[in-house]
Amino acid sequence: MGLTVRRILKSAFIYACLTMGAAVVMVPLFWMISTSLKGPDALFTYPPEWIPRPPIWRNYIDAWKMLPFTRFLFNTVFITALAVTAELITTSLVAYGFARFDFRGRDVLFVILLATMMLPWVVTLIPSFLIWRRLGLVDTFDPLVLGAWFAWGPAYIFMMRQFFLTIPKSIEEAAIMDGANVVQIYWHIMLPMIRPALLAIAVLSFQGNWNNLQAPLIYLNTMEKYPMVLGLKFFEATLSKEAPMWNYMMAMSVLMALPIVGLFFAAQKYFIEGINIGATKG
Amino acid sequence: MAEWHAEWYLSTLSHWLLVGAAMIGLMLATYAVLRRLKVRREAAAGYALILPWLLGFLIWNAYPFAYSLYLAFTEYDVLQPPKWVGLENFKYMFFEDPRFWPSVKLTVLYAFISVPLGMAGALATAVLLAQDVKAVGFWRTLYYLPSVLPAAATALLWRWMFASKGLINTLLSPIYRLLDMEPLMWFADERLVLPSFVIMSFWGIFGANTVILLAALKNVPKELLEAATVDGAGPWTRFFKITLPMISPSLLYVMIMGIIGALQNFTAPLFITTPSGAGTFLNVYIYQQGFTQYKMGYASAIAWFLMVLILILTLLVMRWSEAWVYYEVEVRKKGR
Repeated sequence: MGLTVRRILKSAFIYACLTMGAAVVMVPLFWMISTSLKGPDALFTYPPEWIPRPPIWRNYIDAWKMLPFTRFLFNTVFITALAVTAELITTSLVAYGFARFDFRGRDVLFVILLATMMLPWVVTLIPSFLIWRRLGLVDTFDPLVLGAWFAWGPAYIFMMRQFFLTIPKSIEEAAIMDGANVVQIYWHIMLPMIRPALLAIAVLSFQGNWNNLQAPLIYLNTMEKYPMVLGLKFFEATLSKEAPMWNYMMAMSVLMALPIVGLFFAAQKYFIEGINIGATKG
Repeated sequence: MAEWHAEWYLSTLSHWLLVGAAMIGLMLATYAVLRRLKVRREAAAGYALILPWLLGFLIWNAYPFAYSLYLAFTEYDVLQPPKWVGLENFKYMFFEDPRFWPSVKLTVLYAFISVPLGMAGALATAVLLAQDVKAVGFWRTLYYLPSVLPAAATALLWRWMFASKGLINTLLSPIYRLLDMEPLMWFADERLVLPSFVIMSFWGIFGANTVILLAALKNVPKELLEAATVDGAGPWTRFFKITLPMISPSLLYVMIMGIIGALQNFTAPLFITTPSGAGTFLNVYIYQQGFTQYKMGYASAIAWFLMVLILILTLLVMRWSEAWVYYEVEVRKKGR
């Protein structure tokens, strides 16, 4: 008898802890959404109003219209689409090279690749900026997307290589015997097999590009070229001059987060797979 | 909205297609040239395949790396060519700049407080979730959610939470009244900037770490734990003598990645204005020096300082980890 009581107490304790933790996690999120639906006079009420009555959905429309947010959204989609596509193509090719082909210097080069993961981005930032400046491409979208053709993101190459290593070699050997060349093997055999890894990287890289503030901040000067994050920064700076309109800021933060959260729910498996590949096989 | 400016997008799109086609052309050319030079088929294909990364490494890593080291010893405002000043930048950085050391302190303390705290929270959560909890997926999703939010949105949310009349102070107001104290000003109070950032990071970070540690916990062999139970080990002994050593490689990974990330904190502090006396995160400081003050030389010097700092701290953690990280392979070798 004592044992079952103990077991019940134990699981009660576990669920109580989990629920408490979940509350801590969810309250700020809830507060963000709640604030975004409040009128300016309901912001600082005491006790705090958790569910705004009535919810003011117009906040979203009004805030959206204060700056060219439609344009910002289009810019973000444009930048993200080009960068992610190029990244997926080159990352998978490079990882294939590192995983499957034997050539002199491969292991040294791979160690260098891993070392670049540790390199803080600020170190290369200024010279990179100077290169784009010399090319006359500052204040265009080019610096935000062209680099993706050079398989940027060493972490993705690493993840992808780990994935290639799990595919048995015998599969290609049969194709080589049949006289298939590298391009054919990659296209017809490897590409279908690495789909899960490609999707995982697509999801992570989408998230990375969507949230990336540094590059747009440095390269873009014209407000109409801003992506969402930079638009949000500009919005914040404009609104903070007077009394901050937190309801509008929260509304735009919710919209900024929505696609990523939606993607997370749709492709949760890949998010979790992505972070685990790096951790357990590293 | 005024004009649509299709040319902005079309020009980038055409450049993008051009660079992509050029890259694939270069890969094919590399293969052809290497084959002509009698390089083995496999090696030629390998070099051709890694070419995008190799070029990227040379153009976007190696060259900028060397050039920024050079810039660190110059004065450069972009308009005039760089002027060699020797160690001036470093002298100014270490001995004269009043904002440098407070920023170093803030950055390093932030990393060394927020990362262990986040790990402890993540470990506790992961241990709870590993106890045959019903609907693990649901809880995991819930805890992971904050780390999915864009850093910009998180930063704005916490600025609002920590505002002088924000939610935190509203909830704390009974305590303030009880202790008869002034409400805390959080991000606006020089002394509370660090704790405020730590609290914010705690909310955002431990979800991802929980997922990693949970996966590691699931990999601890059940036989080991059962064998220990048979030998009379209690739950605490089992946890500290078996579970913890078995997941120590994952803990080290989480710790190092966390520290490297925390030392490079950028987006959140850029959205949060703090009093200048508290210093600012080094990455933000470098950005301000380089791109708002146009002191590219000085900014490069600080960037190099940050890199060396990250390197040293990472090596120290690695060295220290030898005392507590357990690698199965090594022990097996010793046992033979």
